[in-house]
Amino acid sequence: MHKLIERFAGYLPLDFRVLYRQFLLRVIDLEALSIQADVTRFLGQFAGVLIMISLISAIHAFVSTIAPPTTVAGWLNLEWGTEQSAIATMMLVIGLLTVISWDSTFPDRKDVMVLSPLPVAPHTILFAKVSASGALVGLAILALNFASGSAWSLILGSRRGALGFLQFCAAWWLTMIAASAFLYCSVLAVQGFTALLFPRRVFLRLSAVLQLAAFGLFLGVYFVQPSFTSPADLAARENQWILASSPSYWYFALFNQLNGSLPSQFRWLAARAWIGLLLAVFGAVSSLLLCYLHTMKKTVEAPDLVPGAGGFHWTPSFGNSLQTAIALFSIRSLTRSRQHRVAFAFYLAFIFAIALSLLRIDLTASPPHPVTLEIILPTFSMMFFAVGGLRNVFSLPISLTANWVLRATQLRPTEEYVAATRRSLLLLAAAPVWLLSFALSFRFGPVLHVAVHLAVLALLGWILVELCLIGFYKVPFTCSYLPGKANIQLQFWGLLIALIAFVVPCAEIEQSALNESMKTAFMLTFLFATSCALFFFNRYRARSAVIYYEELPDEVITTLGLSA
Amino acid sequence: MLELRRVSKRFSGIPAVDDVSFCARPGEVTGYLGPNGSGKSTTMKMITGLIELSEGQILFQGQPIQDDLIAYKKRMGYVPEEPYLYNHLSGSEYLTMVAQLRGLPAKLSSERIDGLLRLLSLHDDRHASISGYSKGMRQKILLIAALMHNPELILLDEPFSGLDVGTSLVLRSLIQELAVRGKVVLFSSHELDTVERVCSHIVILHRGKIVADDSIERLRSLMELPTLEAIFSQLAVEQDSVSIARQIADLVHA
Repeated sequence: MHKLIERFAGYLPLDFRVLYRQFLLRVIDLEALSIQADVTRFLGQFAGVLIMISLISAIHAFVSTIAPPTTVAGWLNLEWGTEQSAIATMMLVIGLLTVISWDSTFPDRKDVMVLSPLPVAPHTILFAKVSASGALVGLAILALNFASGSAWSLILGSRRGALGFLQFCAAWWLTMIAASAFLYCSVLAVQGFTALLFPRRVFLRLSAVLQLAAFGLFLGVYFVQPSFTSPADLAARENQWILASSPSYWYFALFNQLNGSLPSQFRWLAARAWIGLLLAVFGAVSSLLLCYLHTMKKTVEAPDLVPGAGGFHWTPSFGNSLQTAIALFSIRSLTRSRQHRVAFAFYLAFIFAIALSLLRIDLTASPPHPVTLEIILPTFSMMFFAVGGLRNVFSLPISLTANWVLRATQLRPTEEYVAATRRSLLLLAAAPVWLLSFALSFRFGPVLHVAVHLAVLALLGWILVELCLIGFYKVPFTCSYLPGKANIQLQFWGLLIALIAFVVPCAEIEQSALNESMKTAFMLTFLFATSCALFFFNRYRARSAVIYYEELPDEVITTLGLSA
Repeated sequence: MLELRRVSKRFSGIPAVDDVSFCARPGEVTGYLGPNGSGKSTTMKMITGLIELSEGQILFQGQPIQDDLIAYKKRMGYVPEEPYLYNHLSGSEYLTMVAQLRGLPAKLSSERIDGLLRLLSLHDDRHASISGYSKGMRQKILLIAALMHNPELILLDEPFSGLDVGTSLVLRSLIQELAVRGKVVLFSSHELDTVERVCSHIVILHRGKIVADDSIERLRSLMELPTLEAIFSQLAVEQDSVSIARQIADLVHA
């Protein structure tokens, strides 16, 4: 296989192969992921997470045969539920991929300045970039569906014999490819036309906003979109607008059309899938071609020095001068660096999705909703994601070479730097989540319970901030990390386990304590005491700590084995 | 006075700076010269406290700098060799951050930053992102960041790099003016003409060791050479530059 690929690659032009390899390295920001700048390793880890999801789905398929549905309606329910879930997950994964590889398909200034003087045709650059991004999308489709697609085809398709199995299998793969292509091309088209329509300066700013909006949209839709697994649900008048506006339902209809199981009244949905795919592909191809013909020239001609926004330049104060400097540095790093924005947007998207799920509760109901796990768990989860997420993003350096200025101006003890980092975490993570929760809890009651919950949430935020500060003797966004330290799979599953292990019990404890004043008082006292203890612990340890800017590897003694 | 006593720095056992001792006095500009890789920037980084010494001692006003590094840093301004800055900030934001980290009062720092930006013709571009700045503009930002807290010790590592003629002339006069006002100025550069005009005292480093430490006048008379370039060539340049240039042209032509 390897030899076959090499032989095929041999037929491709050398300049294309060189550029393809380079662009593949840059599709994802490997520095951000800290995996030894090794694209093969990254792809392996990325595929590993998707294969794990695929295997879980496959196991689910086989488990469902232990107690199979006994009615036709039951089978339909299982089949439609599976198809909708698989398509939605596929689209989410592709959506997230487009977000983390945002702008990588379009020529950036560095490409233009480096490649323009060389004898390389613009179309070679374009094909190499599209191939690099396409390779990642292809890998995602393959990894996410190889186990689940086979298993569900076997369980659901083979009920109609061997031909049914083959038809289901073909429908599965074609739908997944079409849904992925639709989403991927749609994002490219939107980016491309934005680049064409706006001046480069405006485009760069708009692109950052679009990237975050896309992130929130993909995750929000995935978590909030309802599942319709019966013909009655699909035919219900109130659900028609969801079917009409949700691409995952268009591709659900396409799946059933290809599988030969689409009720005739939903042909219009499948037609939307085809039309959507054609429009997206046409939009992406035309915008990319125009961009490479038009934008590359515009990029070269763009002035090096873009004047900053004129007018109002307000520098707010966040405490003493050090606290203000670090808080402002953090805000600017988060909002202006693509790498950090994307990393934090991952957590923000979860918060956004949770907030959206809370909004689905009828907030106009009278009397107000009681304070139950329905609000406690989502608000705790939001706090967990915000504080934990920001702490993780703080560890990613923004410019190691520029750190000398922080060393040269380190005129205060470590304790004050830790206090400044604490303030940044409270200001940028805990406070916004608390305010959002305050707004969302407006229609919950009674007022005393809401007040207690908000007090608990504030204390929980403080505790999380203090826990994040243990051993964190760094200025946010400045410390280098050892290569290979980040492990995507471990972080992904570790985060979920930590959430379940920490947040769920806390929410249950709060709910049980709300109705008893003694328990409530004890809970608040305990949380306050814990917060204070952690605060003083961090302050005490910071007194003897040294701010560090580079993580050093552990001392390793290498034996030569000469005595053996 | 800044004094280096038998300072050495080794990286993985390999000496980058070897047994270096010299003094830089208030009121004079000390030139610190040497070919690429001779250890100039390493010495500068040791003097700023960015890297630790392997051996020796650095004293400022008679006190070892490590005794109270924070107090020492408050009195020092540094322009590094490479203009590394946080590119996601604007010039104004960067300078404000440095002022805040140094604990300068907001009003004072704002006035000084504004004034220095105007004098160095950067005021119109102060809100533009540093990523778009030219090398000369970055150098000006570094210069402002090094001077705005009125330091007693000024360390300038290749400060003329990328500057236009007008600003270079301003900086040349500024260095002399700072020395006249009693500052200790240590100035490293490859521009020998400028060094010759600005410095009263020079230290030449070669392969990590000091090969000359005296006033330019005295070196001229001792070595019987007319210019600093001739002195430098004799002490620190080992290669035949004309021959190498010819070999490069031959290699490209072949």
